[in-house]
Amino acid sequence: MTAQGVDGRLRVAAVSYLNARPLYEGLDREPASGRVRLDCASPSEVARGLAEDEVDVALMPVAAAASLGELRIVRGCAVGAHGAVRSVVLVAERPVDSLQELAVDLSSRTSIVLARLVLRARGRGREPHVLGSAPRDAIAAVGGARGALVIGDPALEIEGRFPYSLDLGLAWLELTGLPFVFAAWCGRKGALSIEDERLLENAKLAGLARRDAIADAHAARAGQSAASLRSYLNDAVRYDLGDEERRGLQRFYDEAAKSGLLPQADVRFFDDDRGKVSSTESLDTLLARAADGERLSAAQGERLVADASLFDLGLAADAVRKRKHPLEVVTYIVDRNVNYTNVCTTSCRFCAFYRPLGHPEAWVLSREQLARKLQEVVDAGGVQILLQGGLHPELRIEWYEDLFRWIKREFRLGLHALSPEEILHIGRLEGLGVRAVLERLHAAGLDSVPGGGAEILVDRVRRKIAKAKCTSDEWLGVMRVAHHMGLRSSATMMYGTVDTARDRVGHLMKIRDLQDETRGFTAFFCWDFQHESGTRIESGDSGTVLYLRQQAIARILLDNVDHVGASWVTQGPEVGQVALRFGADDFGSVMFEENVVSSAGTTFCMNAEAMERRIRAAGFKAARRNVHYDWLTQPS
Amino acid sequence: MTLDAIREKLHARERLSFEDGVTLFRHPDVVAVGQLANEVREGLHGDRTYFNRNMRIEVTNVCVASCLFCSFAKLEEGAPDAHTMKLQEAWSELEARLEDPPAEIHIVNGLHPGLPFSYYEELLAGFKRIKPDVHMKCFTAVEIHFFATHYGMTYLEVLQRLRRAGLDSLPGGGAEIFHPEVRSRIAHDKATADEYLEVHRVAHGIGMKTNATMLYGHIETFEHRVDHLIRLRTLQDETGGLQAFIPLAFHPDGNAMRNLLAPTAVDALRTVAVSRLLLHNVPHVKAYWVSMTPEVAQIALRFGADDLDGTIVHETIYRAAGSRSPSGLTVDHLVRLIQEAGRVPVERDTFYSVVREYPRAALPESAVKVRDRKANKHLEVLS
Repeated sequence: MTAQGVDGRLRVAAVSYLNARPLYEGLDREPASGRVRLDCASPSEVARGLAEDEVDVALMPVAAAASLGELRIVRGCAVGAHGAVRSVVLVAERPVDSLQELAVDLSSRTSIVLARLVLRARGRGREPHVLGSAPRDAIAAVGGARGALVIGDPALEIEGRFPYSLDLGLAWLELTGLPFVFAAWCGRKGALSIEDERLLENAKLAGLARRDAIADAHAARAGQSAASLRSYLNDAVRYDLGDEERRGLQRFYDEAAKSGLLPQADVRFFDDDRGKVSSTESLDTLLARAADGERLSAAQGERLVADASLFDLGLAADAVRKRKHPLEVVTYIVDRNVNYTNVCTTSCRFCAFYRPLGHPEAWVLSREQLARKLQEVVDAGGVQILLQGGLHPELRIEWYEDLFRWIKREFRLGLHALSPEEILHIGRLEGLGVRAVLERLHAAGLDSVPGGGAEILVDRVRRKIAKAKCTSDEWLGVMRVAHHMGLRSSATMMYGTVDTARDRVGHLMKIRDLQDETRGFTAFFCWDFQHESGTRIESGDSGTVLYLRQQAIARILLDNVDHVGASWVTQGPEVGQVALRFGADDFGSVMFEENVVSSAGTTFCMNAEAMERRIRAAGFKAARRNVHYDWLTQPS
Repeated sequence: MTLDAIREKLHARERLSFEDGVTLFRHPDVVAVGQLANEVREGLHGDRTYFNRNMRIEVTNVCVASCLFCSFAKLEEGAPDAHTMKLQEAWSELEARLEDPPAEIHIVNGLHPGLPFSYYEELLAGFKRIKPDVHMKCFTAVEIHFFATHYGMTYLEVLQRLRRAGLDSLPGGGAEIFHPEVRSRIAHDKATADEYLEVHRVAHGIGMKTNATMLYGHIETFEHRVDHLIRLRTLQDETGGLQAFIPLAFHPDGNAMRNLLAPTAVDALRTVAVSRLLLHNVPHVKAYWVSMTPEVAQIALRFGADDLDGTIVHETIYRAAGSRSPSGLTVDHLVRLIQEAGRVPVERDTFYSVVREYPRAALPESAVKVRDRKANKHLEVLS
């Protein structure tokens, strides 16, 4: 799916399910086709496109829509059921309420959540273990205390095959007295005009009239009974979405949020926002709430980014900083960034540092070189090293384990090492999972994980600038595992390539969500892409004013992250100092060396004395810290 | 005096007092002070932010004065690194740039004891011969004072002769810090504060516009800075001839005050902001990027400054004192710095008439390369 919209057409995405087809099929025909660009894709891809602003409206499962900020739904159109739906069923060899295991098709989150809510309600809180599985395998695995949740075509095919089955549309009606909504047209507030909504309604009317034809075509292709499919589309699936369906959907969201299965979401229609005087809060209210430490939504964050001045953001961020750190202390750390190799297999477009294996300028640091660097850190009163490299295709996990043990034996330094990308790389090389890699490295001496390589946690952006790198979910996944093991990490953001303001807010939201779950992030740092002729992408949004705004909005939105650092290494000591008044409470590292940024042309150095002087000149007390942000010196 | 009381004064269009100035310099929240200055700046200029195409030439670094903050002057001809340009050498600098000519030539020199006055007259006339419409912004008030005493003329005679030769306006250099407690220590053997101000007064009297500066961040106190600004405000009340005020940060490398530390960026922004607030009667406050670095100058456009100065090309005085700023910027770079700050770039001439207005929107992403810090590589430093 690619970003569209430049031609002025409405960007529409839809899940390519049979039961959804009557809603969107008409969009491919005149007269709608000239006004719409339609993409059909898997539920996860549709959800991603909407979250990353590649589409305006998406026909998608309601579970995936729950995490969308400022969710709005098109009134009148849905894939739902009022009673039996036939295509979402639990099957078993014994009564479903006595099951201990349930095999499910993991691709349908809405149905899984529905199944769990129904079983919990029927079992008074008890529910079977849920096991992920491929659809046909789930059916094959049914037996004894194991049942299966079967969805879509397979559900229709196995009607009558198992002694016990539970139609979840019917079960929901029995439980709540309400209809169920499986999928709807979802978007963000303000994304659709009245004309756009009319377009979707007209497509639905055209599609409903063609249900028999759609059923027949599918039956012929899939070798199924045309009569059964006709009856399914005409009778079982309901395509309306009015106030009753809205109550059913709201009930689903409420119950799911109460059980911790989905984030809390409110069902609101696009037309709820129309015809009223703008009910949005004033900017001043929003800023005051931010300064008071209230949590703001992604949409509120976007509003601040769009409308608030540099000073609005700076003063609010400074207030948040002061609330979290009332002693007016700004910390810094004496450590050293050591790159153990410049060999890397990812060839990111923004990187001027890496060399391929075998290149004449490729290197891996020897123990002698490392020993010299580390001794300098110890001699300078340093407390840790930040050890990162490229993704070297020949260094095995034993190499890292030996290195870490040697460092821990020879030098009393904290080991803040290996970004998520490197952890994943080692895992692939060794055929090990993230947890296994981290456990072995932790046992060898790893103390904490640096937050590098996050770039922008929006996959559209990542694919453009760092194609070979991990996805945002993989990056977050490594951090999740590390945090669950008790390892702390930092979080970062590199903006200023192809990212938009919404992408940057989305990035902060992903960090905040994971932090809610793990509390493992110690601090957040951001910087803009450092352009240099050795790299192959041009700068996007940049400049020091944008940096200050970006850092300030991060301080405002990341209400659950304790520390925000000013990136003087990229912005220069001068701007870094100013940034301390825009929400930062940490000044980063005394700089011995840093190869990646400096090979992109940015080279600044600052010693501890100069750092403390700048901290004090900005009106704070200075203290040295360790990786946990404990003070190592008395603030002065 | 709190910030709120000062804000009320500003809203009531009252002028700020000496105490207000000191309060603003001492206020812990530099961002709040900047916000006040930004209100005033936007009231005066909206988002418009000025720059010009100019060119710096220093024809001689031989100087009889012995200012402690100076890393540029060589005391006498023949000293190592002393250099005085032949007239043709100076003119060649312009001739070499006629493809993309500057609109303004900005000449500032040492106080050379051995040159005839005609050297300066010929210098000006020669530039005007090469490019008749080029604006000559030359000689600080300190130089004018030196010419008057050295060649036995009044300020008026000096200015009129130079004007006949081609002088159009005076730059603001040489102000340093007016207060005698500071001036007697750092710049004891050149024009006094009163003499500096008198040169500007005479220039204004014959319709010649000037700028003014303040060299801050060395041994002066905040009170000295406020005193300096108020002296300029009083002159402006009288003549109205000051176009722009330019705060200049002290740079310590290679001069007699090298044991001092340069002021930090927070001080630079605060000084821009307080200058904007105290000098309500001076139209423009410059963020002189040579002194503050382009990055901090960009932020200063939101702390009260409305002018980035110009393309400069070949600045040597700050470079001698260890400035890390580049010696010149392209027009594209200046435009982008202004646009990134959310402002509207306006190319101006020396009198702030519009030469060209640029759109608010950012340039196409690939149009300019923003950063080129490679020239400033520093070696590894151990703490």
